[in-house]
Amino acid sequence: MSAARNRTPFDAGRAVYLAVNALLVAFLLAPIAVILVFALNPTPYISFPPVGVTWRWFDKFFSGADFMNALWLSLWIAACVLVLSILIGGASALALARGNLPGRAWLTAFFMSPLMLPAILTGLALFQSYLLAGLGRPVWGLIIGHTLVAVPYVIRTTLAVLHNFDRRIEEAAAVLGAGPIRVFFEVTLPLIRPGVFAGGVFAFIVSFDQFPVSLFLVQPNGETLPVVLFNYMKFDLDGAIAAASTVSILMALSVVLILEKLIGLKAYVKL
Amino acid sequence: MTRTVPFRRRSLIRTAAGLAAAATLGAPAVLRAQTRTLRITTWGGKWGEMMKGQVLPAFEKEFKCTVQADQAFPFLPKLQASPKGDPIYDVLHTNSNEQWKAVDEGLVMAKITAREVPNIADIYPYAISDKIVGVSIFTSAIGLGFRTDKGLAKPTSWKALADSKLAGQRGGYIIPVNSLGQAHLMMLGKVYGKGLNDLDAAFKAMAELKPIKLVDFTGQMEKMLLAGEVSMGVIHDSGIYRYDGQNQPVDFAIPSEGVLALEQVLNVTPGSKVRDLAFAYIDYMLRPDVQKLLAEGVWYSPSNRKVKLDPKFDAKLFNTEAKVAQLIQPDWKWYNARKDDIDARVTRILRD
Repeated sequence: MSAARNRTPFDAGRAVYLAVNALLVAFLLAPIAVILVFALNPTPYISFPPVGVTWRWFDKFFSGADFMNALWLSLWIAACVLVLSILIGGASALALARGNLPGRAWLTAFFMSPLMLPAILTGLALFQSYLLAGLGRPVWGLIIGHTLVAVPYVIRTTLAVLHNFDRRIEEAAAVLGAGPIRVFFEVTLPLIRPGVFAGGVFAFIVSFDQFPVSLFLVQPNGETLPVVLFNYMKFDLDGAIAAASTVSILMALSVVLILEKLIGLKAYVKL
Repeated sequence: MTRTVPFRRRSLIRTAAGLAAAATLGAPAVLRAQTRTLRITTWGGKWGEMMKGQVLPAFEKEFKCTVQADQAFPFLPKLQASPKGDPIYDVLHTNSNEQWKAVDEGLVMAKITAREVPNIADIYPYAISDKIVGVSIFTSAIGLGFRTDKGLAKPTSWKALADSKLAGQRGGYIIPVNSLGQAHLMMLGKVYGKGLNDLDAAFKAMAELKPIKLVDFTGQMEKMLLAGEVSMGVIHDSGIYRYDGQNQPVDFAIPSEGVLALEQVLNVTPGSKVRDLAFAYIDYMLRPDVQKLLAEGVWYSPSNRKVKLDPKFDAKLFNTEAKVAQLIQPDWKWYNARKDDIDARVTRILRD
């Protein structure tokens, strides 16, 4: 039998499918590639094509106290938001899915409402509330603001898991003698975990990149990275911005990879 | 009968330890109560670095206070959102146009005199003119920045920006959000019409500048000039002079019709609980040594007449009576009253 006969016939549909996917990937990655090019370009302004390669903007970013303080503050706040969002969002989703609550649809819309309201208004409303209460602009106030806009992500992903949840597994555990608490921790939680933690990853990224809510709530000398970058850009639009953006992207990617390694987010792609 | 209280060494030690602990814990609170906090707004960039690195620590040391400097925009909306009786800032630092908005809403003081800020006695009249609310501590001059490597003659008039050779190579601002753009619009009224308030002439001249590259911030204009994306653009002198000695092919031109003043204005909020400290801060910022430090650090023209600048800065900055006479101060009260209509009109012109 000749080799030509064994050759897979040309599949036009598959070729188009691959081409469209390649285009989509290029569309998503092109801005990141451009940012990296700018970050490595030695000119004191953002220009294309690049004229060389330098690490000076990364050096400026990592040696700048304002940048570093902002980076660590953003990471710390995002970590707090991740934990709070998982706790609040996970519990809310369970209550909404299982609680037989009156006006469930209304309650679901209510919990999702921070996503519908422009985030800048959420920030402004919180800012005024804190000031009227005489609280000033505490860091925990910023964490609450971020959590408000992050919780809907956890609720949505957890509800999606709960929607496909086979309750007979819980009933079987109960029949075999497990109490409600044991059923929750040994049956329910492991099964909804991918949804909860996937929402948590969204919450982390939403908080880490959060600008409109932070704009009004950050303290003097306690600004988050997006706010510092915005203010920096008004006076110095150089490669340090691109370097900071590259670091932010890598940070967010690292968190996703670490969480994937720790809790296996691959299950989430089935949702 | 006399009752004897038994002496117990352990209880005495415990009491003493408790008192010591309370004193230790309480001490910072007492110190905090004595240390007053001044809440101000200030710019970022090189200015912010100098303020945080040198100027504010020296002020804190001298006045035994803490300064909380907010560098995160937007300042005016934050002040508007805070209670008037307990404002979020004691001193508001903005450009002149925003101070006018603030005074209309009763958020800043209408006038500051030498009685509250003694160094006002030494400043140029423009810095406390009737076009200023508060005190202008520095000014930049809004003129034309241009590339020196594009074969362009140094512009002598604002009309140079309309040269057809510069189509698509000239730079301006998104007028609703940038005070340089707003000032430039008024200047077009003066150059092409009857004066700064001749909006019809200004709109017509603005339409003639198309195609024009527009930006939000002056920092973006600087970089567009450096990158060669524009060959000529509206910019303040410090945005060009800051690259002095860096071998960049850019220069600043003072048009014959005059330059517009971009004032750095400080003002005190009426509800401030530390008003004396707020005035002391403004006075401090007007001191000749502080003025010289910042003027030479960021290329801003000082308001205090007594400042002696080094020759390099003396040659370019507006620091003599003759030089400051070239500064044109727009009527921001007049402009702000018409801002919504102007924004709508100019957006239509630049979009079409």
